[in-house]
Amino acid sequence: MEEIIPSLKGMLKDAIIIKSDATRFEITITILNKLSENVADPDEILVMLKMFGGLKENVPMEIDINNKTQNIELKFQTEEDFKKIQKIMETIWDDAVDMLEQTIQGDFSRIKTVPKIDD
Amino acid sequence: MTNPNAIKNNPFKDLGEIPEKKYHNGYTLDSTYITVRDGVKIAATICLPKGLSLDEKIPTLLTQTRYWRTMELRIPFRWLFDSMITNAPNPEIVTSRGYALIYTDVRGTGASFGTRIIPFSEEEVKDGSDIVDWIITQPWSDGNVVSKGISYTGTTAELFSGNNHRAIKAVMPGHGFWDPYTDVAFPGGCYDLAFMQMWSFLGKNLDLNSPKVFSQIMPEVWLFVKGVKPVKSDKDLKLLQDAIRQHESNQYVYEHTVNRDFRDDKLPDGTVFDDISIFARKEKIERSNVPILAWCSWYDSGYVDAIINRFMNLSNPTIAILGDWNHGASLSANQFFPERTIVTPKPRERINAWINFFDKCVYGDGIQGKIIYYYTLAEEKWKKSRVWPPKGHSYQKWYFSENYSLTREEPATDVGADKYKINFRTTTGRNNRWWALLGLPITYYDRNKIDEKLLCYKSQPFRSDIEITGQVILCLYMASTHDDGAIFAYFEDVDEIGNVTYITDGEFRLIHRKILSTEPPYKMLTPYHSYKKVDSSPLIPGEITEVKFGLHATSVLIKKGHRIKIAIAGADKDTFIRYPTEGRPTITISRNKEFPSYIKLPIISKE
Repeated sequence: MEEIIPSLKGMLKDAIIIKSDATRFEITITILNKLSENVADPDEILVMLKMFGGLKENVPMEIDINNKTQNIELKFQTEEDFKKIQKIMETIWDDAVDMLEQTIQGDFSRIKTVPKIDD
Repeated sequence: MTNPNAIKNNPFKDLGEIPEKKYHNGYTLDSTYITVRDGVKIAATICLPKGLSLDEKIPTLLTQTRYWRTMELRIPFRWLFDSMITNAPNPEIVTSRGYALIYTDVRGTGASFGTRIIPFSEEEVKDGSDIVDWIITQPWSDGNVVSKGISYTGTTAELFSGNNHRAIKAVMPGHGFWDPYTDVAFPGGCYDLAFMQMWSFLGKNLDLNSPKVFSQIMPEVWLFVKGVKPVKSDKDLKLLQDAIRQHESNQYVYEHTVNRDFRDDKLPDGTVFDDISIFARKEKIERSNVPILAWCSWYDSGYVDAIINRFMNLSNPTIAILGDWNHGASLSANQFFPERTIVTPKPRERINAWINFFDKCVYGDGIQGKIIYYYTLAEEKWKKSRVWPPKGHSYQKWYFSENYSLTREEPATDVGADKYKINFRTTTGRNNRWWALLGLPITYYDRNKIDEKLLCYKSQPFRSDIEITGQVILCLYMASTHDDGAIFAYFEDVDEIGNVTYITDGEFRLIHRKILSTEPPYKMLTPYHSYKKVDSSPLIPGEITEVKFGLHATSVLIKKGHRIKIAIAGADKDTFIRYPTEGRPTITISRNKEFPSYIKLPIISKE
């Protein structure tokens, strides 16, 4: 796993496009790599936001996943909720890789801040 | 920095050249259930070389694991990698050498159905044969199957050969046991509480598909992995859920062993430890005559002794390799060079050497006879031998003497003894050879400081280099204030300026001290203790008794000007259970004419 860390941030940014629509309170995640399986379950998106994005509370959102287009749409009711997740998504790949790298090096400080995950 | 000499002479380079063969780039990934003789469904992941033509037939490399054959990655990593990213070796290396690669979850684990009461059960071993039956009927199979693994999977590979299936051509057990009682669960009769507890905890959580366990043991894996990979057809995960429900009836070794003491204590299915050993299945494995490439490290638990016992006892054509790395060879563990970060040989080099070995057995005339390659610590040199112990072997006695010294002269006086009150806070920490079984690095640092709490005996500086290869024997004439206890003995090198380096150790529970003159269950070079209830006896407080046992095998060069040191403790609190459970014994070690305590060093003469 250690060998992939140096290139992981770039790989994530190259393979995943994140677009926000502030007028419709929507965030679209598009996976460019051709996947042989389903893109994700909605629960997995929530786990990702908590684990790597540090999301602590339940933010109401609708999660639409299109396995054909490999698009994930996150739809919010309020601007406040939208902005909260938008901010997380701006740095989530860097945060995820930094956390992984720190943990591999034996620094568990960030992992201790992860809220309870049901999986 | 790795010694260039070590690289040049490493035995993995001796295992032949890569043959001229058609190679494939990339692999296809599939998974399915294989139904075995009693209807249990075994989950299998299959990697085939990409572009395999319809008429092309290839051999198969099989690995049977209890640690999830393939892992389901978390989002977003699943969007980048296929599920084989966490598997070692990466399928790319194996398929590019023209092998199909199959990973299975053994029954009762992962996505497989069934339950398990004990590991390595007869049923689990027989599954291997049924899986081979399935493999050789596949359109891409050429009818040849080899198996490999490290640790648990190494043992499944070795036991697999005992199925005597005509398709099995070679096995490669890495870092596996020979005698699970002494190699891992009860080394010297002392219960390895830490490992047994952690391993059972890990196993239970894996079997229930609960990745949360990783957050405590291997947090980096928890961040990366969501659970076991279901088989491809199980879209709604119903089969996986059904399988996991069956695993709820599994049983775990910790519960079976924590309050046990003896080798002949029954496991819940009526078997005993020996029944799951390699030595108990010796005849079956020998009948197969399947070639074996076995490897391990001087620093790995009691598995180091397993390599030597396997080499001495099995008649199969064998290549055995003993190096200076950790369990699984991902890290250097050479205590003489703690700054080394890179293990030699590198993983890719090792993997290609395994495949060369398999190629020889599948396409060539196999291997002949037995050979062991071993790395001599401090000399930093690979050596090889067709026999064990190697030629030139003899024992040299060093006696415990006054002023905590070790001397070649037998004690001449009628008196002489040293008292030591057991300190139950002594520990080798959590990066020792036993915790290493959980994949941790091995570091025995600060021995100078730790030895201050122990009873130590030290030699004068050596006048010339001496190679010690084999098992050091410790013989104590000792008394205790209590009827139970244990000895933990550390064999160390002391350099010219006083730095102490761990070489090896041994542990022994005193109630097992009886040495039997009957035939042991397998050939061994250390005093034979049965560890059975009938042969155990409490100490009689105050009475001098002989306690003689072997330390774990090693190969080391004690350099001119260095000294040897034996450090004795009565506990290793972060690893082993405490003996006795209450009280704090004082032991008295005699070192006089009548009771001359000593160590016996296996010396290799240069002539």
